[in-house]
Amino acid sequence: MSHLIVIPAYNEEAMIGEVLGEIMEREPGMDILVVNDGSTDRTSEIAMLAGVKVIDIPYNIGYGGAIQTGFRFAVDYDYDYVITMDADGQHDPESIRNLIDTMEREGADVVIGSRFLEGTYRMGFARRMGSWLFSWVANIYTGVKITDPTSGFQIYNKRAFSYLSIGDNYPLDYPDVNIIMALHKMRFKVAEAPVRMIEKRNSKSMHAGLRPLVYVIRMVLAIIMVFFYREECK
Amino acid sequence: MNLTLRILIFLSGLSLFLIIFRLLRRRRFREELSILWLLISITLGLGSVADLVIDPLAFMLGISYPPALIFLIFFFIVVLTMFYFSIVVSDLKSRNKELSQKVALMEYKIRELKERIKG
Repeated sequence: MSHLIVIPAYNEEAMIGEVLGEIMEREPGMDILVVNDGSTDRTSEIAMLAGVKVIDIPYNIGYGGAIQTGFRFAVDYDYDYVITMDADGQHDPESIRNLIDTMEREGADVVIGSRFLEGTYRMGFARRMGSWLFSWVANIYTGVKITDPTSGFQIYNKRAFSYLSIGDNYPLDYPDVNIIMALHKMRFKVAEAPVRMIEKRNSKSMHAGLRPLVYVIRMVLAIIMVFFYREECK
Repeated sequence: MNLTLRILIFLSGLSLFLIIFRLLRRRRFREELSILWLLISITLGLGSVADLVIDPLAFMLGISYPPALIFLIFFFIVVLTMFYFSIVVSDLKSRNKELSQKVALMEYKIRELKERIKG
C-alpha cells in the first residue's frame, strides 16, 4: 500500500524544512510531495534539498488547485492513498496513524482530521463560530458528525482522490465543508478522526489572507450549489 | 441636439467601429468578443439621431426626462457586457488552472527523466 503525503506550499520557506524533517522522521516509508504553488521565496529549493518530490506550479492558483495537482500526481504515479497536510507546521505528523487507522476501521473513503476531538488547539472566536456553523450544515446534510470540516489534514483513498482529481470536482479556493457534502452526495463515505494540531507557528496559512466575509459568502454559495450537483453513478 | 454634436457622436461611433474592424483584420481581437463591441459602436453611431427615437420612446414609457432613458439603455449595455466578460473570465480561469497543473506535472516528469538518463 503506497501513501503519498501532499503538502501545498505558498511562500513557506520559514517552516517547510522543519515540517518536512518532522514528517520524514515520523513516517520514513511514505513519499512526500510538496506542491509549490507559485512561491516567490525559496520554498521549492528548500523542499528539494530535503530530498522530497517537488512540483512547481508556474504561478499561484490557490490552495485547492495545489491540492488537486497532488491528486493528479497520485493518479499518474498510481498511489493508493493521499494524505494532505499544511506546510505551516500546524499538523502534527504523529496523527497520520490515527487517520490511517480510522480509514481502515470505518471503511471510509475520506477521513478528516479533527482538531476538536482532542482539544489541544485553540482558535479565535470568529473562526470557531464559522467552523461551528459550517459543521452544523455538514452534519445535517451528511448525517455524519463532522466537527472540523475546514481541516486540511485529511486522508483519501484511490477512489476518492481519483474522483477529485478531475476538472472542477475540487474547487480552486475552498476545499471545505462543500467538498464533504459533495463527496457524500457522490456516495463516498466520509469519517472523522482526532488529530493533534499545533497553533500556527511562524508563517501565514493560505486561509489567513482571505477576507472572512467574502469567505463566508462564497462558502454559503458553494454549499447551496452542492444541492444542485447532479449525482453521478459510481 | 445641434448638428456639431450629432456629427461628433456619429464620428465617435464610426471611429470605434473602425478601430475594432482594424483589430479584427489584424487578428488581435477575437470575433466572438468583438461582436458586442461592434454593436456598441453601431449604437453609439446611431446615437447621433437618438433624440428622434428617444424622445417619443421616453414619453411612451412615462419617463419625464428623456436623457434618463439613454442612461438606462447604456446602463443595461454595460451590465450585460460585464456579465458576459465575467463568464469569459470564469472559463479562462478554469482553463488556466488545468494548464498550469499540466505544466507543473510535465515539468516534474521531464526532471525525473533527465535524472534517470544522467544516473
